Amino acid sequence: MENTAKVKVNFFRPVTEHARKNMKLIIILALIWAIAVFGFQVLLMVFNKPVPEDNYLKFEQLWPGFVDSETRDLILKQELAQVSLAVLGKNVALEEEHKSVLKLAVSKLVLDILPAEQKNAFGQDPLAYLSENDLRPLLGLENGGFDKILYDLLPTSLIPVENAEFTAEMEEKIPSIMQLYLVHNRSFLTDTTFIGFPFHYWYTAQFLLILFVVLCIIYARSTDKLHKKHKIEE
Amino acid sequence: MLQKSSLLAPFLILCTSLPIWADTSSATTLEGEFKVGPAILLIVILISFVMIGLFNRAKDTSTYWAAGRKISPVGAGMAIASNWMSAASFLGMAAIMYASGYHGLSYVVGWTGGYVLLLILMAGQIRRYGKYTAADFIGDRYYSKGLRGYGASLAIFISFSYCVGQFAGIGIMFKWVMGIDYTWAVIIGASVVLAYTLISGMLGVTKNMQVQYVIIIISFIIPLFILTYKFGYFWLIPQVGYGQVVTDAVNGLAPAKGISALGHDFATLPVPEFAMPWDPATGQTAFQWIAICFSLMIGTAGLPHVIQRFYVVPKARDARWSVVWGLFFICLLYWSAPVYSVFGKVLSSNPEVGALAKDAIVVYTAQLGAVFPLIVGLLAAGAISAAFSTVSGLLVAGASAFSHDLYYRTINPNATERTQMLMARIGTIIMAASVAIVALLKLGLIAQLVAIAFSLAGCTIFPLFLLGIWWGGSNRKGAWAGLLVGSAVALIALVYFIVGKYGGQLPWQEQINYYLNAWYFAWLGAPLAIIANIAVSLFSKSKTPDEIQIFLAEKVHNA
Repeated sequence: MENTAKVKVNFFRPVTEHARKNMKLIIILALIWAIAVFGFQVLLMVFNKPVPEDNYLKFEQLWPGFVDSETRDLILKQELAQVSLAVLGKNVALEEEHKSVLKLAVSKLVLDILPAEQKNAFGQDPLAYLSENDLRPLLGLENGGFDKILYDLLPTSLIPVENAEFTAEMEEKIPSIMQLYLVHNRSFLTDTTFIGFPFHYWYTAQFLLILFVVLCIIYARSTDKLHKKHKIEE
Repeated sequence: MLQKSSLLAPFLILCTSLPIWADTSSATTLEGEFKVGPAILLIVILISFVMIGLFNRAKDTSTYWAAGRKISPVGAGMAIASNWMSAASFLGMAAIMYASGYHGLSYVVGWTGGYVLLLILMAGQIRRYGKYTAADFIGDRYYSKGLRGYGASLAIFISFSYCVGQFAGIGIMFKWVMGIDYTWAVIIGASVVLAYTLISGMLGVTKNMQVQYVIIIISFIIPLFILTYKFGYFWLIPQVGYGQVVTDAVNGLAPAKGISALGHDFATLPVPEFAMPWDPATGQTAFQWIAICFSLMIGTAGLPHVIQRFYVVPKARDARWSVVWGLFFICLLYWSAPVYSVFGKVLSSNPEVGALAKDAIVVYTAQLGAVFPLIVGLLAAGAISAAFSTVSGLLVAGASAFSHDLYYRTINPNATERTQMLMARIGTIIMAASVAIVALLKLGLIAQLVAIAFSLAGCTIFPLFLLGIWWGGSNRKGAWAGLLVGSAVALIALVYFIVGKYGGQLPWQEQINYYLNAWYFAWLGAPLAIIANIAVSLFSKSKTPDEIQIFLAEKVHNA
């Protein structure tokens, strides 16, 4: 009591054995905690690489040929329409501005592909046209699998259009939109699956929480023991 | 009352389910209509809360604040969990994962990992220090009336910003159930929660909290069994079974595994942006993930209403074990929240569903998955229950900071018990009314609004507790320095946020909005505050008084 220097509390300078053990325990648990949470993010940063979806590879291949109107053929138009629809299928993730560029692109492509005598009817009211005609063969889509999902997107994707020409603005924006939505950060950490999950997702959403509970139990039990051993009254 | 309501359930199902069941086939029922079953369930639950509150009326100020310190660790754990699991956990987390995928998991990890810090660094010590409120501790440890007053004002401000998100959640759910306007929904919801808090005080609140926890967790988990079962995933443990749904979302799912309530296929094109880290499509970066996670963690360990929970347990050992139990109970919900986001993602992948209010995605997901309507109603009631339990705790924390720390300790030390009680009530009313007004501004998603409170706590109160408990050398001047630095960082972040929100432009607007965003400014604010505290404490001539050093060593650390 007389010598205040003795009773000064400093986490890193424990004066009793109990305090020393307690410090050790806290440091160990805090290190596990920090490395498990933030170390894993660092691992993801180190290993992740931008990996394109198949649709992006398809787009990269077809786009130069499409921009050059000489080489623009039916297949290119169909494929670009499919890729654009696939991005529109990301729905929630899309920005409104990007949605409207893609919708315009899909609608112009359909108009382009249609036979001349039907262009007018489609351009004015694409939804009415869609309800009466099956566009699958024109777009090169099957009736099943992902093609079915793509086709089901048409009612919300088609808008009235006057001509099939892509504007300079569209041609400028489309590649960056495709890149934004079709390239993802991936690595073996994200591509390995564990009990159904992508591994990194399981680790973050479940394992870390389990670890937190375990760390807490370890601390509470060790402290109980430590207090018992040092006969500390609470 | 709870038993009564569960007895009522089969009757309610018979009475109300048929017309609602028929309604789910049309797109319009997702919102905008008065929903009979859910409304009745909600009313039954709310009345039972008020009744439990009534039977446990607060008799004097010490019961009002600290519930007589007679609750077991498991019970206190449930109270911690219920107090903690707010609209942000129940609605907000799934919403932010739905909107920005893996980025949203930073909230899941941040809001659970903080408990480890809280436990190993503070819980037992706080209990042993033995004060009623966070401001009490600050004022006592740093022997300063001014700091007590400032701490109390901060506690009020933090509780206030925490409440804003809750009231937004209450508003969204009342709007959904009653089919009324958001504004009216907020006003009605705020009035009910206020009446209930005023009547019950904290003892009632604590007992209610255990009941509320049970309602919250049951209502949250039941729909998950139904969703996983319905769409052919491993349903016995939905928290494991949904892993395949995440993988299906990443790789795409076709042919369909079922049909949604709106008649759309349960199928999706590949949407890796849902699960891949910091996907460019979400506009979120690795830095933001880490900054949010860290800010939420230290914020958890600095939130006055969380810290205050440790005063209601009898012993320090109970304080520690109540954290363990609390975290476990919290994790039950946090393991489950992502399930809603991924099912919501697939079920709303058809653009015909339209843009859904993200903060209500939990309820929409259950609806789109054609979960039995009364169970969806229970889910909505659970959400309201979650918001209510937190709000009542926050109003108590805010009001006690007002009456105990500001009024009694700082302004009028001669106040009688009666006057203090009155001030606590007046404080509660003023706070509830002003929170409701701010909630009407719709400044952000629930989870984000609540994250502001965490960052505030993280860079002001957390450093004071951390250094106050673990370093006797931290003195009054150091505390002031740290607090002012933390507050300055918070002020800058909030001013830039509000100016940006209303379209204004300040110097370095873009950089500050990114590096000191309102949701995560504590990543910088807290370390700076700690450094300032240490530096000024070391260089100032004044020393922590001996009696505080001795008290710290003997009582708090058993030296």
